[in-house]
Amino acid sequence: MSQRSTYSTPRWVKVFVIIALVLVLLAVVVLVTGVGGDHGPGRHMPSGGPSDTPFVSLVATHHS
Amino acid sequence: MTRGVRKFALTVHITFSIGWIGAVIAYLALVIAAITSQDTQILPAAWIAMELIGWYAIVPLALASLLTGLVMSLGTKWGLFRHYWTLITLVLTILATVVLLEHMPDVSAIADVAREADGADLAGGLGGELLHAGVGLTVLLVIQVLNVYKPRGLTPYGWRKQHE
Repeated sequence: MSQRSTYSTPRWVKVFVIIALVLVLLAVVVLVTGVGGDHGPGRHMPSGGPSDTPFVSLVATHHS
Repeated sequence: MTRGVRKFALTVHITFSIGWIGAVIAYLALVIAAITSQDTQILPAAWIAMELIGWYAIVPLALASLLTGLVMSLGTKWGLFRHYWTLITLVLTILATVVLLEHMPDVSAIADVAREADGADLAGGLGGELLHAGVGLTVLLVIQVLNVYKPRGLTPYGWRKQHE
């Protein structure tokens, strides 16, 4: 029973999660501020997908 | 799983996983060639090749890697949710596969433009391709490291199971 109270999350998992959260936060900041250009998860959504043929116009607007 | 079956399944899983990494590197090479080349014929050719590599190499390898990974986890002592390294590997593999499947139609759309529209401006999406392939490759390498080193650490679920 004494072992049951000794459980703790391994240090490498904590470090891994912290790094992952920092990277996700960084990605969110890049997307929100627009530094990353016209890109983001919304680009993969059906409403913004190729069915609405945005890519041709997207490509055009990038260089217009 | 018997020892022989386990070895065979592991060989298949490693083959698909390393193949996935190799295909993404080939994809990255095309993206970089498209970005850096001054040759106007390279750009449409690269998009068409990226679509082919994506649908006929990267997607099948990703799905096969995910499937064989599930078989390996469930058929061995490691399990899917008992150890942090298997759990993180599963989450990252599913994430990479979902993003890949969501992204490939976009690549196909530009590849169609590259085939049909002579002289179309195709450089716009290359930054996104570099980001997708670069981040994807990084995620796959992290998964590979976790799978080779298998760092110790039970999840709360695995810890409970061990003490039952």
